[in-house]
Amino acid sequence: MGGVNYVSRRRAALQPEESDEESWEELVPLPPSCPLAGTAAWSWGGREAPGAMLGKGAGGSGAKPAKPSFVSYVSPEEIHKKEPIEKEVNLHLLPGELLLCEANTVLKCVQEDGSNRGACGKLICTNFKIAFLGDESASDDNEPEFKNKIIGENDITLHCIDHIYGVYDEKKKSLSGQLKKYPEKLIIYCKDLRVFHFCLRYTKEEEVKRIVSGIVHHSQTPKLLKRLFLFSYATAAPTNTDIQNQTVMFDAIKDWREELERTKGNMKYKVLNANEAYKVSEKLPLYFVVPMSLSEESILQYQGRGIPIWCWSCHNGASLLKMSAFPKEQEDNTSQMHKIFLDGIYKTINKPPYEVLKTDDLSSSLPSLQDIQAAYIRFKQLFLIDNSTDFWDTDVKWFSLLESTNWLEIVRRCLKKAIEVAEYLEGQNTNVLLVEENASDLCCVISSLVQVMMDSHYRTKFGFQSLIQKEWVMGGHCFLDRCNHLRQNDKEEAPVFLLFLDCVWQLVQQYPPAFEFTETYLTVLSDSLYIPIFSTFFFNSQHQKDTNMSGEGHRAQSSHFRFLTVWDWSVQFESKAQVLLNNPLYVEKPKLDKSQRKTTRFKHQRQLSLPLTQTKSSPKRGFFREETDHFIKNILGKRISKLINSSDELHNNFTEFYDSWHCKPADFHGLLLPHIDGPGIKVWAQRYLRWIPEAQLLGGGTVATATKILDMIEEVQSLQKKMDEKHSLTVPQGREALPMLRNSARLSSLFPFALLQRHSLKPVLPTSTWKDLEDEDDLAKRDDEFVDLSEVI
Amino acid sequence: MLSGSKNSFKIQQHQPGPALRGPKSSAMNSRRNKNCQAFPCIPGEHVLEAAAHVRKIVCSRDGEGSILGTLYCTNLRVAFVPEPTPGDTVGAPRCSTRLHSEHDVALLCIRRLVAVNSFTKAKVLTASSTLKFIPEELVLYCRDFRVLRFRFRDSGLEPRACQVTLAIVQAQESSSASAGTWYDTGAIRNLENAWLSTEGSSSSSTLLFERPCDWEKELRRLGAAGWRVSPVNERFDMATSLPKYLWVPSRLLDNELKRAFGHFNARRIPRLCWHHPGGSDLLRAAGFHADSDPEKEDVRSVEALMLAGHAQCVIVETAVDLPSPAEIQLSYLKLRALCLPDSSVADEKWLSALEGTRWLEHVRACVRKACEVAALLAERSRSIMLQESDDRDLNCLLASLIQVLSDPHTRTQSGFQSLLQKEWVVAGHPFLQRLNLLRDNDREESPVFLLFLDCVWQLLQQFPASFEFTETYLLALHDSSYIPFFSTFLFNCQWERDRRNQHRASNQIYAPVNGWREPPPLEILQKGGRLAKERGGPYLPTIWDWALRYTTQQRSQFRNPAYARSSGSTTVPNGKSAPLGGDKLEAALSGSGTMYLFAKGALSPQTHLFPWKNGSLSKKGWWRAQSSESLSEQDRSLRSSPSGCPLQPEGLLLPASVGPLIRLWRRCYLRGSQEVQTPCASHCYWVEQHSLADRALAWDSGDLAVVPGSATDSLGHLGVASLPPRSVNSQRNWTCFEGD
Repeated sequence: MGGVNYVSRRRAALQPEESDEESWEELVPLPPSCPLAGTAAWSWGGREAPGAMLGKGAGGSGAKPAKPSFVSYVSPEEIHKKEPIEKEVNLHLLPGELLLCEANTVLKCVQEDGSNRGACGKLICTNFKIAFLGDESASDDNEPEFKNKIIGENDITLHCIDHIYGVYDEKKKSLSGQLKKYPEKLIIYCKDLRVFHFCLRYTKEEEVKRIVSGIVHHSQTPKLLKRLFLFSYATAAPTNTDIQNQTVMFDAIKDWREELERTKGNMKYKVLNANEAYKVSEKLPLYFVVPMSLSEESILQYQGRGIPIWCWSCHNGASLLKMSAFPKEQEDNTSQMHKIFLDGIYKTINKPPYEVLKTDDLSSSLPSLQDIQAAYIRFKQLFLIDNSTDFWDTDVKWFSLLESTNWLEIVRRCLKKAIEVAEYLEGQNTNVLLVEENASDLCCVISSLVQVMMDSHYRTKFGFQSLIQKEWVMGGHCFLDRCNHLRQNDKEEAPVFLLFLDCVWQLVQQYPPAFEFTETYLTVLSDSLYIPIFSTFFFNSQHQKDTNMSGEGHRAQSSHFRFLTVWDWSVQFESKAQVLLNNPLYVEKPKLDKSQRKTTRFKHQRQLSLPLTQTKSSPKRGFFREETDHFIKNILGKRISKLINSSDELHNNFTEFYDSWHCKPADFHGLLLPHIDGPGIKVWAQRYLRWIPEAQLLGGGTVATATKILDMIEEVQSLQKKMDEKHSLTVPQGREALPMLRNSARLSSLFPFALLQRHSLKPVLPTSTWKDLEDEDDLAKRDDEFVDLSEVI
Repeated sequence: MLSGSKNSFKIQQHQPGPALRGPKSSAMNSRRNKNCQAFPCIPGEHVLEAAAHVRKIVCSRDGEGSILGTLYCTNLRVAFVPEPTPGDTVGAPRCSTRLHSEHDVALLCIRRLVAVNSFTKAKVLTASSTLKFIPEELVLYCRDFRVLRFRFRDSGLEPRACQVTLAIVQAQESSSASAGTWYDTGAIRNLENAWLSTEGSSSSSTLLFERPCDWEKELRRLGAAGWRVSPVNERFDMATSLPKYLWVPSRLLDNELKRAFGHFNARRIPRLCWHHPGGSDLLRAAGFHADSDPEKEDVRSVEALMLAGHAQCVIVETAVDLPSPAEIQLSYLKLRALCLPDSSVADEKWLSALEGTRWLEHVRACVRKACEVAALLAERSRSIMLQESDDRDLNCLLASLIQVLSDPHTRTQSGFQSLLQKEWVVAGHPFLQRLNLLRDNDREESPVFLLFLDCVWQLLQQFPASFEFTETYLLALHDSSYIPFFSTFLFNCQWERDRRNQHRASNQIYAPVNGWREPPPLEILQKGGRLAKERGGPYLPTIWDWALRYTTQQRSQFRNPAYARSSGSTTVPNGKSAPLGGDKLEAALSGSGTMYLFAKGALSPQTHLFPWKNGSLSKKGWWRAQSSESLSEQDRSLRSSPSGCPLQPEGLLLPASVGPLIRLWRRCYLRGSQEVQTPCASHCYWVEQHSLADRALAWDSGDLAVVPGSATDSLGHLGVASLPPRSVNSQRNWTCFEGD
């Protein structure tokens, strides 16, 4: 029979010391009360103090199987029989991390094709994460290639926990608050869409109590800001040397000045330092940019409300601005004053040298935060799967389910809004002012999307990171509230940043060569939202960060916490894993000399100012007549029905702009407009499907091509090197080779996230109806007939 | 041998056929000749109308542009010949292909004609309609999802525009009216003549499975030791729809074999499709014939055929989980309506509209079932018989899909083409009916083959490095199914194809070329026959002659640069399967084989070979009763350890068929709407860089012998040799490698 043979083969491939370990199947028949101490493998570290564990944790990773050398008289097997305890204690605690509770003999269930498999181990809850220390994961063969140094395969940070369910007699109940009865199984849904099943049937009762209430308490109850792990980590962590980071943090006035200069906005806009010490507003960053003509008094008048704040300037001088609106006042008097104030402001900016201003109230033209949150909750349900049968049930209705969640529609509307804004800026040379109540949610989404689409600088990795710093971190997006990190108010929760990343992903997958980073980068970034050692996503505003930074007597020795920024990717990934964040197919912007630049700029403008509107007569009109005519015919030919429906002129402009751009070849360093039609918007498969074994393709997926491309790139480089050598030029630095993609011949499509499924190489069959044929057959007879295919082929 | 194009022209003149629609007047004749100089006619084709200075609108990766050229309407097709631009090196080879797939459309492939004028609305044209305005643009909606748009000269007052438009409308109308006599039209006859000369150039390694040696060769490749090629159906006297040669168990003599035919619908007996290196065999057969009597003695041979020497036989009910041809047709029509550029589905309702077509559901069902059967094949040595009531539709699909999953050889271009020949063309898939190429019978239309291509595309996008061919190739294949100039898709079975050829052969003799009036001597007949055999096929070319329609540059895009040839050899040493043979023998002799039925993802044991042996169960409801019984058994079997597949062999692809991973083939179905052009395959840049660096090095180094062999080799693989050199820093390098 196939299974038997397979198991023995696997055994043989494993490390020698594993032969005395029990797999779960063999363990099950044991009565739960059986003292497991008899087996050496189970007796590890039960009562060890956390301190000791920490000490060993440092050395624990070095406990690799000793290679037999000729000096040694003891065989490696013997050595390992003696030190299983040492091997198992590999709980790696971060500085400042405290072990809170733990439970032994917990089964982590892997639900696959209806069969229950699992790994036995220890469940641990610290003030940072929930961790499962399995016995099997120690084998070096399965060392994940793309490993997060902070969060292991079986680690869940407390902030990453979405929901906890307990299973009582086959019934699933949500766990929260005080528990009267303890479940036999714990199901944890994570915000990065992993689902963990921990079976507690074989765990001691008091351990169950402790671990379950511990996990529920530490992950579900509201917290104070100061109790975030961020602070304990920052206190305990060694003061790391500041690594030179190319990401512009926008926390200094210099950064803003340089940004103004880069975008050539410095003619009309100025950096203000009026908010130093947060005199103007706690919502605003220390430094911000406003139109030059704006007076100091008006800025101070309403704590920064009603003030147009500069985001970005287009190459043609049109600028993107944002403004936090006044809250709707009941009193006529106040709202009248607000109106007068705003009129004054508009008058100031409508004067030359500023062009026409177009205001867009995002709170009325885009879905509300509640809508976004509701859509996302529905959407993620599609991917949080308890078992495979559920998945196959939803499968038939996949598209209508997906549509009914409305998430993709929200993505589409955001992209559409961004295109509209781009059309005003680029096509009509109009300034755009985005208005939102706090200018820190949808404003961030739209303004950063517009910048990604229009400015190729923001499509590089450092540029993108700077953009997030500028628009989100400094722009005062309430990460703490929107991610509900403190669990204080569920109503404030909304995945706004994730929505932005999803929009960017749509662009990345439509125009992969235009981006320096990969979708893996975006996925990893979205995961970093829940890792509380980086300060980037754990404050509501710069002011909040600064006021909490000073430590306020919190161990007087250090006056300032030193927070890590998420942009320091080396904290999370080894450099060879970081390679996966960079797009090998990205082509850098060619460096042109001055004269060339002028000509391209001209072309650029010509191309983009094409959609001429009837209302605005342009001197260039005659020049472009041919193309306009062509364009009209174009519409007649194919968009008849769509055009008839929309007589709206505004809509016309948009369609013309959109269509004419898509008629032209895409310049990967110029304006980039996404396809937003029905088939154009897709599901971010890497993020949402990565943990679903049914979606895994062995040897398939884009990884397969990526490997080939990298081979090719390397070959090109070696050829170029040879050419250069021949011409005795200096040898350019080659790209870093990717040993990771090379060494394993067959990667799964879920790479780099899920490992090759260790347990099941069985084909994915839809139902649990895979019938065992061998019931009535003589097993011994069949065994001879079985042919090991791996040997034959 | 016959004849360049000029000779065949003469034949046409001498050969008045009833349906021949030739030019009547000499005036037209002269004009025709004038036009012919510019337009590379297929012999037998003549230009009805032409309009110069027409712009064809192309939406490509390079943006929407237009090509200036001349639009022709001939008696066979609408053709567009671009004007050669000075200094265009690509222009030269283009002329060599006479059928230009990119710009041409066969009249039979046009679905709808729309004339557009900027002042009036678009008008759908039929033969009866009169054109009240001079069209500025002519839009051709093709049956293969293409939309061709031709814009007449900008003034819009081009009298030619009117003429050519009306000519196209009429030609299209009359060609579809007389489609029943398609083969007899003078044009198609001369087409056959003409291709006699060109066909010799095809050096395709595709096995056509028309000669026994192809069958022998393939059987050797599979290493199926217990099987032989039987010529029992060589004269189609056993079954007209079956191929001439069949793979049957070696132990079974033809005499015994003949007794089995009567037990199956349309006498389509179980025969080998593919042999798994691990020992399993994949068979296909029609359903049991209603009148077959299980008590008869010759059931033995049926049993032997099905078990094929294995101890276990699994009957796969093909039709159970898969859509019927009628359902396929229905969802195909819905899909086409949805994908038309003027479909009125709102963007936010697109996904549910897509689901409503059920097309992807059908694709998913096929992929899933093929995956299950492929797993069964790999799991252990057994015989698996695909059974469909007539064995001519979904059996073709399933059998070939299973092989694509299991056999790396079928994922090469020649292997894939051989597979299509074996499982579709010679196996008797009724292409003529299903594709309704001649549009004579709408009721039987059902794009089963296109569904198969979609399934393969799904695999291709799930396993982009496992296929030697690209999406472009599949697209070319897709389009080819609507071109009525090739023998491959023009017949319902091999018998029809051969009969047509015999007919053709006699025609050729009775209408001699060089004024030969005598009755044909025997040698000629034999010679002709032998010639036909030597060339291995019909006179109409097969579609595998890609060179007839695609330029070298286009064909280079058929090759997948990311293809990683699987290292393992696909053949099995004979020694490996020999002991199995002994085992098989025993089982077959004792007759102790067990039968299983596989349906809805579950296997259930069968006690009888013929389900209605006891006479109590009705034939229709039989399997349902069985499977419901097996469902109750499943619970029992579940707790025992699942019999997992052994380590996944190198060659086996196990695709995912979950909702999010079954996608719409956008480059095929959404070609009409320009806005959803897929982004270019991003690796093309490096392919190009690779070739550039390689060439530069080659040019550079007169004496430098450092060009690594591997690099030049892979360059050949990538098929980029024909790309013109461009500057390295040029932004325009981003032309799509796989672009249209």
